[in-house]
This record gives sequence, C-alpha cells and structure tokens, in this order.
Amino acid sequence: MPAELRQEQSPGSQASLVTMPEAPEVLEETVTVEEDPGTPTSHVSIVTSEDGTTRRTETKVTKTVKTVTTRTVRQVPVGPDGLPLLDGGPPLGSFPDGPLDRHFLLRGGGPAATLSRAYLSSGGSFTDGPEPRDAPSYGSLSRGLGMRPLRGGPLGPDPGNGCFTLPGRREAFPVGPEPVTPAGRSQPERFQAESYGLEDDTRSLAADDEGGPELESDYGTATRKRPDCGRVLRTRAYEDVADDGGELLEDRPLYPAVTAPLAQPERGSLGSLDRVVRRSPSVNSARKEPRWRDPELPEVLAMLRHPVDPVKANAAAYLQHLCFENEGIKRRVRQLRGLPLLVALLDHPRAEVRRRACGALRNLSYGRDTDNKAAIRDCGGVPALVRLLRAARDNEVRELVTGTLWNLSSYEPLKMVIIDHGLQTLTHEVIVPHSGWEREPNEDSKPRDAEWTTVFKNTSGCLRNVSSDGAEARRRLRECEGLVDALLHALQSAVGRKDTDNKSVENCVCIMRNLSYHVHKEVPGADRYQEAEPVPPAGAVGSQRRRRDDAGCFGGKKAKEEWFHQGKKDSEMDRNFDTLDLPKRTEAAKGFELLYQPEVVRLYLSLLTESRNFNTLEAAAGALQNLSAGNWTWATYIRATVRKERGLPVLVELLQSETDKVVRAVAIALRNLSLDRRNKDLIGSYAMAELVRNVRNAQAPARPRARLEEDTVVAVLNTIHEIVSDSLDNARSLLQARGVPALVALTAACQSVREAKAASHVLQTVWSYKELRGALQRDGWTKARFQSTAANTKGPKGALSPGSFDDSTLPLVDKNLDGEKLGSQDVIPMEALGPDGYSTVDRRERKSRGSELAGESSEKEPLKSDPSRKVPPPGPSRPAVRLVDAVGDTKPQPVDSWV
Amino acid sequence: MSYIPGQPVTAVVQRVEIHKLRQGENLILGFSIGGGIDQDPSQNPFSEDKTDKGIYVTRISEGGPAEIAGLQIGDKIMQVNGWDMTMVTHDQARKRLTKRSEEVVRLLVTRQSLQKAVQQSMLS
Repeated sequence: MPAELRQEQSPGSQASLVTMPEAPEVLEETVTVEEDPGTPTSHVSIVTSEDGTTRRTETKVTKTVKTVTTRTVRQVPVGPDGLPLLDGGPPLGSFPDGPLDRHFLLRGGGPAATLSRAYLSSGGSFTDGPEPRDAPSYGSLSRGLGMRPLRGGPLGPDPGNGCFTLPGRREAFPVGPEPVTPAGRSQPERFQAESYGLEDDTRSLAADDEGGPELESDYGTATRKRPDCGRVLRTRAYEDVADDGGELLEDRPLYPAVTAPLAQPERGSLGSLDRVVRRSPSVNSARKEPRWRDPELPEVLAMLRHPVDPVKANAAAYLQHLCFENEGIKRRVRQLRGLPLLVALLDHPRAEVRRRACGALRNLSYGRDTDNKAAIRDCGGVPALVRLLRAARDNEVRELVTGTLWNLSSYEPLKMVIIDHGLQTLTHEVIVPHSGWEREPNEDSKPRDAEWTTVFKNTSGCLRNVSSDGAEARRRLRECEGLVDALLHALQSAVGRKDTDNKSVENCVCIMRNLSYHVHKEVPGADRYQEAEPVPPAGAVGSQRRRRDDAGCFGGKKAKEEWFHQGKKDSEMDRNFDTLDLPKRTEAAKGFELLYQPEVVRLYLSLLTESRNFNTLEAAAGALQNLSAGNWTWATYIRATVRKERGLPVLVELLQSETDKVVRAVAIALRNLSLDRRNKDLIGSYAMAELVRNVRNAQAPARPRARLEEDTVVAVLNTIHEIVSDSLDNARSLLQARGVPALVALTAACQSVREAKAASHVLQTVWSYKELRGALQRDGWTKARFQSTAANTKGPKGALSPGSFDDSTLPLVDKNLDGEKLGSQDVIPMEALGPDGYSTVDRRERKSRGSELAGESSEKEPLKSDPSRKVPPPGPSRPAVRLVDAVGDTKPQPVDSWV
Repeated sequence: MSYIPGQPVTAVVQRVEIHKLRQGENLILGFSIGGGIDQDPSQNPFSEDKTDKGIYVTRISEGGPAEIAGLQIGDKIMQVNGWDMTMVTHDQARKRLTKRSEEVVRLLVTRQSLQKAVQQSMLS
C-alpha cells in the first residue's frame, strides 16, 4: 500500500488535502490534504510519501498517548464531520492494538504503530493494516508526524474511541533513525498520534505546508518553521524512509513528527511529514483536516504532568530522545523548568515512568554545560536517584541511575553531594555485590570473581570522580565500610583473570590511586607511624637497620637479582619487615588500612605488568607514587616491598612507553621510591639509561611527535636529580649514560623555563661532586657552562656561551659548588636560619613535598563517562599538577633570615 | 614599584624606626627578611611583581620591636639607615640590618596598601 499511496497525490495539491478528510476511504490513494506537499504532513493521517505525494488522510494528530506500535497506514474512516469514525471504525478495528500503544515510542524500532487510532480525518482506514513498521518506517512517519509523542487520551488504542487520544499527548517517540535515546532505543515508534482530536494537539506533523494556506487554516497549523536541526535531521530521515513506500504515511500524521517538536523539519520535499510544527487547532476543531504536529517542548513537558501514566512515560522517553546530543534543547528544558518534573517522576509508582524519567535525566545531565547538573541537584535529584537505585531491581534502571550519577559526578560542586547521599548506597548496592568480595569470609566457597557489569562500571566511574574532590572526600571514601576491600578484591580478580584493560578496572585503580594520596597524613593514626626523618641523605638515620631481609633480595635466580646484590652494599639496609618496626597486626587489615599494606604492591605491579590501558598504567604508577611519598613507616615498607617484588624493573621498562602520562607517573614514582637508599642505588644503575633517553628525546626528538610534554620532562629531570643527589655512583652513571650533553642542551634550549631550570639544577648537583670534576673537565665542560643557564632563568641568551651571564650570579654559583657535595641539599649561601624560604619549605620537607606534590599529580579528574550511548567519552583527564618548581630551582632555596 | 634598570625607583614609603632589643649578646629586631638579588623572586609571596628582587619582610615576631614600630609582614624595605636595600644580596641586607653598632634602625618601607591609598587619594 505504500506504493499506492505514493503515487498519489502530489504535494501540490493542497486542495486535495482539504478534501481529504472527507473521504477517508479514499485516502489511501488520495493524497490527503496535506499541508505541505513536500513535507510529510504531520497529520497523522497524512501519509506522505517521500516524494511527498501521497498524503494520507489526515488523521488527527496522533497525539495519542498510546504509542502506536504498529505502523500502519490506516485511514480512519472519517465521518461526515470529518471526525474519524473511530468508534468501531474499521480502521480502528484493524489497528493492532497493542503494539500501537505507546510502545512504540519507547521502543525504538518496534513496529511503529503510529497509527493511532483516532485518525481524525479521513477516517479511512489505512489500507495497510497495521503494519509494523520498523525503524525506517518510523522515519517516515516521523516525518510527517513527527513522532509526536503525543498521544493523548487513554492509553492504548482504544478502539472505541481510540482515536481520540488526548490531544496533545504525544508520545515521545524517539525519532526513528536517529540514535535516539541514548538508551539505545531506537526509533521511536512512530507515534501515531492518535486522532483524538481532543485537544488539540493536532500538530501538524509536517510542518511545512507548502500548501495552500487555506488548508492549513483548518488546522490552524501555522507553519512554524523552526529551524531545528535535530528535527530536521530526523525528518529527513523519515523522509527517506518514507520512500519505502508510503510508510511514512503510515505514520500517520498522527504522530506529530517524530522529530522533535522543536525540530523544524525542513520541509521541503517529500511532502515529508515533517512539517514545521504548527500549532494546529485542536483536533476537534480541525476535523476536516487534522493535522498533527510535533509536540513542542512545553507541550512535552506538560505531558509529564499528565494524569495518565503512559503519557508521562512516553513524554519522558521522547524528551530523552530530543535531548540526545542537543545542548540547546537541554538548556531549554531547564529553562522551562522541566527538570523538577523529571526528578519528581523518579519516585513515581510505576516502573515504566521511573525508567523513562531516569533516561531523560541521564541525557540531560550529560554535557559540558553544568547548569543542568546544578539544576538537578537543586531539585533534589541526587537523593531521588539514590532512592531509585535502592528500590530498583531492574538492571536497566540501575544502569540509567548510575550512569546519571556518573554524569553528575563530574561537576565539582556535586561531588560532595553525591558522597553525602549516595556513597553508602553505591557501595553496598553495587560495588560490594559486583566485586565478588565477601564481607564475611566464607570458607566453603571459593572467592567469587568480580562481575564487570555496566552498573559496576558506571558506579566505579562515579566514585572515581568524587574521589578526586579533596581531603574530605577521600576520608569519606576511605572510611566507607567495605569499599576499599571490595575494590581491591575486584582488582585482584581482574588480575587473576587477566582482564585488566577494561574501563571498570581503570576506574577502580584510579579510585585506589586517589585514596592513596596523602595517606600518610590523612588516615587516622598516621602520626603513630611518622618517622623522624625521611630517608637519610648522607647521614645515617638512627633507626636500626638490619640486613635480615637481604635474604629476600637474593631470592630469585634471574639476572635481575644482580640488582639486589649490587644494591645491597652497606649499612643502609632497608627496614626489615619482620622487625619491630613493622607494626604488628593482630588481625587482618581491613578498610582503608588495606590501602597501604605491602600486599597491594604486588597488585599494582601486576597491573603495571599486564595492562595495556594507559590510564590504568598511569593510575597504578600513581598509586605507587603516592604510597611511597610519605615520611612514615608504611612508606618505607612499601618502597622496600616494591624492590623485593621486583617492581623496579617493571617501572623502568614502562619508562619506554610512548605515552606521556605513563612516563610521567612512572618517573615520579621512581623518584619517590628512590627515597629508599637501596632503591636509589638500583634505580641509578638501571634506570639511568632510560631516563637519559627520555631527556634526550625531549631535547632532540627523534621524531617530531615524540616530543614529550613539559611536565613529563620536568618529572624525569627531577627524578634524575633525586637519584644523583647524594650518590656519587649515580652521578657517575649519569655521566656514563652521556646525560650531560643532553642536559646542557636542554638548559640552553630555552623552550621551557621549567625544563631549563630543572636541567640546570641537575647539572649543578653533578658539578658539586668534586670527584667528577676531573672527568667533566676532561670532556670539556666547565663550570661556567654548567652554570650557564643556572643563573638565567629567563630567556637566556641562547645561551650557550658561558660568559654571558650575569656575573652577580656567579659567585653564588660558586658558593654552591664549593658547598661541597651537599648532594641533595642546595647550598644556602646565606646563613639562613630557618629552613624556610619564601616557600617555607625546608629541604627535607621539600623533598617530601616534592613527593607529595608529585603524588598530588595523581589525583586527577577522572574521565566522565558518557552514558549517552553513541557519544564517546570525553577526553583525557586533567593534566597533573605541576611539580614544585622549587626543586627545579637553580637558585638556592629562598631563605629568610631573622634579624 | 618595579625596578627598571637605570631609572630611579619611585615608591610611596613609610618611615619605620625600630629600636633593637637586646637579647643576651644579640640585638634583635624581631622580623625576618626574604629576597635579594641572589634569590629567586618568583617565590616571593608578597611581591606584586614577581621579578622584584627586593628585600621583603616575611615574618614578624609577636610583640617584637618591629611589630611595635609598625612594620608589617609583606613590606618591602627600600632603605635602612640610608643604605639602599633594593639592589642587595640577601646577606648584605641582613648585615645592614644587624650592625652591632647601631641600636636604632630607620627603615623606609613600602607596601601595596600605601601605594593604593595614595593613588586613591590622588584620584578622588
């Protein structure tokens, strides 16, 4: 039938349109008066084919609430007054009822039963019986009809009066071909608005009427040309679809264009159904030429308050559809105060309504514009979502809720709100169950594996975002019962199954990294473990050192064991785990304590070894960096454990990574790890080559794209600085690795002030070793060359020339040099009393601050997920915090002197 | 207050006269200074111009002579007893303040609030 329809009428004949209603039966063939020839009329009844010729009878706007699932082009027999003879009219009878309703909206792709029953006009039944329209058809329908979600009236086709749906109710159909709801529902079913005609919601589907104005007049449809691209797109789609044969028509104009009401279909051709939305008179009045038009946004929002539940559901689904990737509509929804309506629907007794509302909220919450997120918060959206999550058993709803929360969590002011309302629920309802962690260890059953569900992924993403919100957020998360345990369990099981590249794992590791940040300061009881001093630089730290666990170092038979052998030179042994130093644990650690137990080291190292996901690698390195940054006992254990677990080679290998952020995180982790003396020696021997290679790449990239970012270069330089400080051997390694030329070139390159400063800082330190001066001078380096850029942090004159610097700085420099190998200490020329300089950081503190800051860099804003399907997740996380410049300063630490 | 080499520096200054306090065999003034041409000016939290290598007051001890005299944290010291402090190294500055032979030091200090106050009064 479509075919036949197609042939009918040319768009031009408006007149026919007018007449259409009169002869419903004829409709099939005739073109209904449709307003615009080219566009699919919105009339439900109008079936316009793509070419816009045939117009179907106009049926009233399909505002029926019910979603007409079948797409049948039907003509509703119209009575003499033009009203569709719904009652028992044949068409009605033939409508497949069930599907018609509402469903189609919601389901994308279902048979679009757009026809609503009430076709006002032309009661002719559509010839084709309800034919399930598939997606394409929708398109067509939509065209004209714009799938309007309207479906007024009683839900469900009601044969008796089916046609009259509540006016204006349109079902929200997701428009056809477009990816409508993020939920992946596709096409909206066409709505067939049913001609209820009750209130008017006849909106003409096809906005454009080319047609005679008079035609329109009946409907009062004024062509509304609203340029709405979305709509247009949609309609276009329909148009195409329509080609299939009059399918469009089928959609009968009942549905207001599937396209969003706001969308302006451009009409044009094809008599597509799209029509500019016009405000058509009510069906009742427009009996003669019922026209459907797409519901406009206010109407859709009004439908959210409709007493009939399916109307609400459809409206919400349509809204979701409209909002998809359409920032303008999202904004408008907020301006029209649609958000409180949706939030209120989250508590609706009917599951369908809740689900749809949640889907709409999910779309609305997504986007760069944060106003919607704020508005959702303002109307109590977060507690409502959490309630829904607790109550819902349906997986889809849970996915939608958690997806919405993930979206919301990317907005900073909301993070604490989400923690306040949702942390417990998210943990207990999602994380713990899906991670496989058993709260009460059950000896009989073997440990369960984690289930990598979408709900888990969304929830972990949400927690990742909120965990970056600062100290209070971290505290809350650490203290949330079972969270850390469950996350660790999940990660363990991922490693066990060798499935470490997925997004959920990434999220979990990022949470762990964030929670490990500053753990030495923030966990309760941390001060018990504080050590008097950080790793002792040249001086010996008083704590006992034992050689005992050197035995552990010699465990393996691999060549790498050499590392350990070499490293273990002398007195500075790492603390022995078994000594009294390690706090005895009378019971297994749980909760946040797990964050810093040495056992996690193995987990992170496994992730570093196995995963190929850069974010995961960065996060695991970041976690190690954070854990080894403190000045407390646990950090010492961690540093030693990393060494014992053969973690250092793993990290060094990752320095070869092509990804900047991975290199950066690993470099800073190595830097922190080298606070442990033995690590420092090992790293100095084995990592120097890689580090220098990175520096060389920075300074003279082999390939243009290999240029590392500034932050990364600075991190590497600081790491080098850390390991050559206070270690003559490492400084020698640096020379052997031919690092000096690269460093000098960097200082001269003046591409980046920070890089140059860091490089010259290293050079100064190297110069401070008198033993090496001979070797350096033999190679032609002079003090001046080393100092050259030191004094000059700003735009040095291209500098390489030694003498061109400010003389006043040289003495200073000399002082530095003569300051002996204070190694890690910069000589402070003034007799500064306090360790504080401007930065009020004393040397030691600086070290740890550097570490902390380095650790800080790990706390990043996680990616925000895009729950809206079809949209790829947003870009990479925020860049890490910059390292403290003080460390890279060539000038002596600012001091102040008491006078 | 920025320094342009070769040009005289103009600033609105306040005179502060500090009487040193004897503590044992030291004469103390009760504040600490930071800055100097050999220091890193970018770390100075008090300076408006981060290239300013002048001497700034970084801490004031409570109830000490400096506080009593009206010195404030963040002040830049321009002169001490006539000796210039805008182009000195940190150590030189310290020495000029802590001469044992002088019991009173007269400082010329400038601060942003002074500058602003004068500007406001000029405008109004």
